[in-house]
Amino acid sequence: MRNSGMNAPARRPVVEVLDVTKTYPGGGGARALDGVSVAFEAGSFCAVMGPSGSGKSTLLHCAAGLDRPDSGRVLLAGQDIGGLREPQLTQARRRRVGFVFQSYNLMDALSVWHNILLPQRLAGVRPDRDWAREVMRRVGLTGRENDRPGQLSGGQRQRVALARALASRPEVIFADEPTGALDLSTGREVLGLLREAVDSTGTTIIMVTHDPSAAAWADRAVFLADGRIVTELADPTAEKVAAQMMAVTVR
Amino acid sequence: MIRLALGTLRQHRGAYAGTFFAALLAVALLAGGGLLLASVLTAKPPADRFAAATLVVSGDRAVTLEKVTTKEKKDKVKVKRKVKSERLTGAGSLPADLAGRLGDLPGVATAVADVAFPVQAGTSDGRPLRGADNAPVIGHGWASAPLTPYVLRTGEAPGPGQVVVDADLANRSGATVGGRLVVTTKTGVRSMTVSGIAAPVGRDGLPAQGALFVADAEVASVSGLPGPTAVAVLATPGTDPVALRAAVEKAAGKAPVLTGADRVRADLPGALPDYIGPISMFGFVIGITAFSAVFVLTGTVTLGVRQRLRELALLRASGATPGQLRRLLGVESVLLAGFAALPGAPLGVLFAHLVAARFRDLGAVPAQFVVRTNVIVLIAAAVAGMLVTFVGARIAGRRAVRIAPTQALAETANAPTGGLVVRAVLAVVTAAGAVALLIFVPLDGPLGMGMSFVSSALLLCTVAALGPLLIRVLTTPVSRLVGLGGATGWLAGLVTRAEPRRVAAVAVPLVLMFAINATMLLNSALIDDLTAQEQVDRTASATAQVTAQGGLPLGTVEKLAALDGVTGAAATLPTRAIVEQGGKPEDFATQGLLVAGDESALDLDLRAGTLPGTGAFAASEYITDQYGWRLGDDVPIWLADGQQVHLRLAGVYARARGFGDLALPADLVAAHDPRGLVSTVGLRYHGDVPDQIAASWPELRLTPTLGAAPARDAQNQQGAWELMVVISLGFTAIAVVNTFAIATAARRREFAGLRLVGATTGQLHRLVGREALITVSAGLALGILVTAIVVGAFSTAQDGTPRVFVDAGTYAAMLGGVAALGLVAGVVPARVLLGRRSLPALGDGR
Repeated sequence: MRNSGMNAPARRPVVEVLDVTKTYPGGGGARALDGVSVAFEAGSFCAVMGPSGSGKSTLLHCAAGLDRPDSGRVLLAGQDIGGLREPQLTQARRRRVGFVFQSYNLMDALSVWHNILLPQRLAGVRPDRDWAREVMRRVGLTGRENDRPGQLSGGQRQRVALARALASRPEVIFADEPTGALDLSTGREVLGLLREAVDSTGTTIIMVTHDPSAAAWADRAVFLADGRIVTELADPTAEKVAAQMMAVTVR
Repeated sequence: MIRLALGTLRQHRGAYAGTFFAALLAVALLAGGGLLLASVLTAKPPADRFAAATLVVSGDRAVTLEKVTTKEKKDKVKVKRKVKSERLTGAGSLPADLAGRLGDLPGVATAVADVAFPVQAGTSDGRPLRGADNAPVIGHGWASAPLTPYVLRTGEAPGPGQVVVDADLANRSGATVGGRLVVTTKTGVRSMTVSGIAAPVGRDGLPAQGALFVADAEVASVSGLPGPTAVAVLATPGTDPVALRAAVEKAAGKAPVLTGADRVRADLPGALPDYIGPISMFGFVIGITAFSAVFVLTGTVTLGVRQRLRELALLRASGATPGQLRRLLGVESVLLAGFAALPGAPLGVLFAHLVAARFRDLGAVPAQFVVRTNVIVLIAAAVAGMLVTFVGARIAGRRAVRIAPTQALAETANAPTGGLVVRAVLAVVTAAGAVALLIFVPLDGPLGMGMSFVSSALLLCTVAALGPLLIRVLTTPVSRLVGLGGATGWLAGLVTRAEPRRVAAVAVPLVLMFAINATMLLNSALIDDLTAQEQVDRTASATAQVTAQGGLPLGTVEKLAALDGVTGAAATLPTRAIVEQGGKPEDFATQGLLVAGDESALDLDLRAGTLPGTGAFAASEYITDQYGWRLGDDVPIWLADGQQVHLRLAGVYARARGFGDLALPADLVAAHDPRGLVSTVGLRYHGDVPDQIAASWPELRLTPTLGAAPARDAQNQQGAWELMVVISLGFTAIAVVNTFAIATAARRREFAGLRLVGATTGQLHRLVGREALITVSAGLALGILVTAIVVGAFSTAQDGTPRVFVDAGTYAAMLGGVAALGLVAGVVPARVLLGRRSLPALGDGR
């Protein structure tokens, strides 16, 4: 049962990117993002696709408040985060956003359990331990609470990262190539967990990937090339996405 | 492989820069200390007073003992000869007729007897005469003037009651021909007239000694010497030097015959710059700096290698064998240290010059001391730096190269644990060594300071070996305490508990900084306190202490003791004497002691027997113990001029600090010490004694107590000591900052990760601050432990009282200073690192 964002226009967007431009110094003046506008609805799973250098990671960074656009606006749950300064920006981010990265970004010094609770502790809120236990159960980590990330396999580490993102009940989870370092079947399991998070808890997930079969788990796929959104697909399948990717890459 | 090593340089700038910096400083310190030591060891006397003589026969300048041991092994008999000697502070004299006998030898134009003796000379208004750089004034008979040669500039040769001074002394004191000088020697105080002014050719005087000539007829009575201290021979032109030397040696008997550059050794020991003190001092400087440098460098190299585990694992994954990695680490470390030596060696030269200049100002080294740049020392320092870096890298790499290639895929690599046995063995050996030193070496003796330093160095090695283990034990309670302060405290506690190795690497330099410097400061403060206290206790019974500029002759003391109203007097006459044990002569600070009157004016805290008298001496508890003497023993003692006397041990005393370990009869010391002047007279009196003294001896000073008046030498040593502590503090402080910086630079990834999960920059700053607090607390706790062991043992050895803090002010200042430095060093690098980018790089390291 997929909820397609396209079929529910009444849903409010949780992340809105409006006419965002971004140029990196030393890039020869080439724009990483060139007037991009896109909205991501609450409770949807959206894949951001594109060849290398198309600006998809930059889009994710700007949308998540990790990077500042040169121009344009970014609304996170209705709040314009473009005008925020540190540490308000970080505070806004940790209240509303969770992250899952290709390189996991777990603290080796901390056990699995403490890693999962870390964002809430940093935010200064009382950690919701029952929910954290429930999240751990859902991602299949029950019993590994006291392990160190160093003792886990790559797939398990990505599950910890996902659990960490889910445990603080964010409005949106940004996932940057979450299956990039995983083998096929492990990657599939992680994608299944992302899908389930959207379906059962209504989380919004924005995932950057270059893998058509990963994008097939999403409700919607947005295609970027040369810093511009070129097209998008609703209810993507691996075949449709692959064909679109070919078209985009050849352009 | 080497290209690989260079290629990785860019990625680990922090670790490389830190190792480079540590190697640079280590080489600089080793080179500097080595240059200073080499320069004092090879220091040449600045001038030869016997420059005009062909050869010189010298009286004894050292006590030399030969020990013959015979070992029978089966059918072989092994005879071992060990010759040990100890320098005299005075000069032995030669037979009075030697000059005459030498003069009759063929080929000898003249043989001149030189009677050299220190004099205390002053102008009639009481200003003392000193040569350039406060050099001492040495008296001679006028006959020895041609040996340099000194030539009269004005006036005439001295007659009875007259003196000739060198032009330099004349310039400094304003003495002119016809003026009067007060000349004090052990035979008395004389008022003499300046009859002339002489100078060596081309200059006003010799460096490091002023010359004062008296008439030859008067030299024996003024000097109090039984014979010449040296006899110089001037050959007739065309004489075969080898034959002459042989003839002179035959006539001279056992006395050494010196030629060429050796002639200067016939001069009076006190007339030449003394390099014995500086040698031991620079030995100590190089000991401390070498230990700190090696200790710090090893730690830095290890930390640097450990931070590159991930990269090493990647290399393993791409096919490098452990052997290749080992070579890579080796070559890289040698290159790094080699490049560091290039600026390090010149810096060492600069360091040596700065220290030498400061020591010259303090008077801790002779004013003539110069640092000579010795290429061999510089190369040795560079090689030592490279060797330490190499060995450190190999040891750190020992485990790292065995890292599993799969670790390369892990987020952070962990070296296989292990080496626990090595650590344990190292810890046990060093700790046992330290304990053995503290228990078996008599810490209240002359070796006490040095050995307490060595034992704290050994204990530091123990701490370093057990570092991660100790840190784990310590951080657990500390971090829980710090962890009470919210999320950052909680996180800091978890992080420090999880990474005991990194915490240990940073904490160990802090332990070094605190323990080494606190031990040096506290032990010397303790010795100062005890010495001052014993001085007060010794002299408490006297009503007043009498002193004079440069000292007063024994004859004056007898008159003082006989004054109406004086009920007790005790005169001390400082000298040095040599005693022997197992064929090894060793010299000790000694006092000639004259006690008069019915009441005691000096309390040595006699533990047994009586004070010295005719044919008898007293000794400190320490030396009695060390040499196994018992009351009534007949002990051979060599006096300052090498004369051996046999004295009976009459008493054992306890208050030896600032006094000396031997107390001999004053008249015996006065006869054989070159200076032979009483430094202090303690008087016990009633009535108008001060008025009587002022009337008869206006030059004497009368003070109620003489507590805090250390001798000039002691002050010099104090200044030098403080400078050494400053050097040591400076270096260890730099090591602390450097290590913190390296450790922090490697955490960029970790900080970025924390920022991504929602930590604000402020939270990271607080986190790093809390971590520094935990690290500094653990480091200081270990430092306090090491210091307490060493200082406690040292203090117990001194007077049976175990002390830990000794001087609360010094202790608190050290503790506060090290803590503040540690906290700043822990926080600042992170500020620099985090301040550069407000937002973290995403997935940094990809």
